[in-house]
Amino acid sequence: MTWDITGMAAVANIGANPSEIFAALCAGLESRKPLRAFDPDNYRAKYAYEIDDRPEGGGDIPRRATRWLTTVVRQAVANAGLGEDLSQVPVLVGTTMREQRSLELWWRGDAEVGLEDLHFGTALKAAFGASTTYTFANACSATLYALGMATDMIEAGMADTVVVAGTDAATESGFGTLDRVQNDIPDALRPFDATHKGMLMGEGAAAVVVQRTGTPGGGPVHARVRGVSMNCDAHHATAPDPDGITSAVLDAYRRAGVRACDIDLVMLHGSGTPLNDATESSVLRRIFDGAGPGPRMTAIKAMTGHTLGGSGLLSLVMAVLAMKERTVPPVLGLADPIPEAAGLGLVQGSPVSGDLAIAQIDAFGFGGINAVAIVEAAR
Amino acid sequence: MSTAHIRNPNVREVAVTGIGLALPGVATYGDLLGPLPGEGGFDPATELSGRELRHKDRASRLALRAAEFALHDAGLTDADATFTGAADATAVVVSTNLGNVDSICAATDTIARKGVRGLSPLGLPQTSSNVIAGWVAIRYGLRGPNLTVCNGVTSGLDALAWARNLIVAGRAEAAVVVGVEPANDVTAKLLGKQSTDAAVAVVLEPADAAAYPGARPRATITGYARARDLAAALTCAGVAEEESVGLWLGDEVGAGEGQLLTATRRIDLEAQLGPLSGALGVLQCAAAAAHFEGRATGNVLATAGGPHHDAAAVLLLTS
Repeated sequence: MTWDITGMAAVANIGANPSEIFAALCAGLESRKPLRAFDPDNYRAKYAYEIDDRPEGGGDIPRRATRWLTTVVRQAVANAGLGEDLSQVPVLVGTTMREQRSLELWWRGDAEVGLEDLHFGTALKAAFGASTTYTFANACSATLYALGMATDMIEAGMADTVVVAGTDAATESGFGTLDRVQNDIPDALRPFDATHKGMLMGEGAAAVVVQRTGTPGGGPVHARVRGVSMNCDAHHATAPDPDGITSAVLDAYRRAGVRACDIDLVMLHGSGTPLNDATESSVLRRIFDGAGPGPRMTAIKAMTGHTLGGSGLLSLVMAVLAMKERTVPPVLGLADPIPEAAGLGLVQGSPVSGDLAIAQIDAFGFGGINAVAIVEAAR
Repeated sequence: MSTAHIRNPNVREVAVTGIGLALPGVATYGDLLGPLPGEGGFDPATELSGRELRHKDRASRLALRAAEFALHDAGLTDADATFTGAADATAVVVSTNLGNVDSICAATDTIARKGVRGLSPLGLPQTSSNVIAGWVAIRYGLRGPNLTVCNGVTSGLDALAWARNLIVAGRAEAAVVVGVEPANDVTAKLLGKQSTDAAVAVVLEPADAAAYPGARPRATITGYARARDLAAALTCAGVAEEESVGLWLGDEVGAGEGQLLTATRRIDLEAQLGPLSGALGVLQCAAAAAHFEGRATGNVLATAGGPHHDAAAVLLLTS
């Protein structure tokens, strides 16, 4: 079984819709900005990849993640040719932080926030009349987990149309603790480059409409989901595990009915931490060893920062555009790949063109949770 | 999400095969039929310490205790508390709304006072809301899907339904479902009243697989829905008007929306134990098992949410 993607939307620091974001990735101009979200005096990190929509004059406001979520859901259903009444459509939201930034502002006395604002069903009910809504706090693999569970719902006959979305705003507790634990503070997110020092947060949201093939009223098909795997390393709270990641990739292939040599494009998790980059590249080197010339690979966090829960789905939306445009954007700032990535088809410098039919999207999160999606171009 | 399909004989039924509580005032799940709180039960002051609980947030420690009891109860751990089931195919599903809010707020206070150098690097995992599910998986080596449901008052019932979905979809052969909420200053301020530490875990397995020696299926999940109100949820879950409901676990806000509910025995766990938030639905599931174990008649209907929330959810359980 495959599942149709009939609607897509995204917002990030580098664009307010998928086309803008894809164009910015291809243009490859430095996108980090001086930290604005929090008082920079409290942090060693000086840069982030924020969405610049706070009021003039400094200070933060609550419910930004919720606002991006309702924006991308609205745009994705419009893109799919569906109306805004989602009373009969399940909406699965993947997130790392939920509305914890609003919780922080409330606790510090800077905003009124209620218990019901912490999960996204409240806003989805108000905006779209949606009730079959779920907030999954599944760290940075959350949206690919949600995508996998959406395909399960369709396969089980529970729904014909499911909206999958993700959103995250940077939190002070997350940004601060990350700042505390990184020995050498990165001044940019540089995945797979020898100069990589670690992760910097981004902000953003993404949404897709997933439909059973042949659903009446469905719009043009952007791409087809072939299969999504999900598992857990059960190994370490924050460090990745090559065995868990390998299992997730191979299970995704099995579900999709593909082999390594069928993959044309890999959207890497690429969080820019030395441990992630070394682990992910080593795993992929083994998987693509002997699989011909191997796929093109790119890592969008070099320009979007780590958009956390929504990052997997944002990578997926960019993969769909790459297949449509037959163009793979480069990894910004990648000049000297780490030794573990030797031989991988990382795109450097400028976009490369090619005929791309099948893409693999990686998303790995805290708690050792991994999800990998295989998506096929609609031709 | 309608689950009328679950009554399709071709779809695997999913049963509750283990129950564990870490809940003050409730000594065993059999006590959940009331009156509550009773004597004994979990003592957080003495039972939340130990080497393997060190450096973990309170919600994770509570969850680990409840999971330990549930896995033991299901016969899935040996004398050394090592997991003996199919680790690659066992899922962890955690329901919590407030699990890490204390860690989040404490970190912002520390940053305001001392900057990031005042933070402990050991606090990194709990900045992410999925920390609890991660620790449970690590403790028992559970490499199946690992899901954290933070979905408001219906969260516990939703988590049970998603765990069942993972089993029905063939992604897992068993699931440990934990509902957990810690009690602290932040949760009290958010809830508007004092709550108690609460963790409850249940083990779900396919009913046909739960026939192994020593397995004791306590209840079967038969229907579920999350919809705009209780009446719609009952319809979506395939709860018919003639349904023989022997026990209704829920508050009275939704009463009157379903004629069939008026004739049943009703237990409102939160009225007796205080706010349970994400732990509620999983505790309702444990109470359903108590109902069936006592050989009482009729099915059990668990409900949460309603007019004051973004939705209502119902879970139908049979013996």
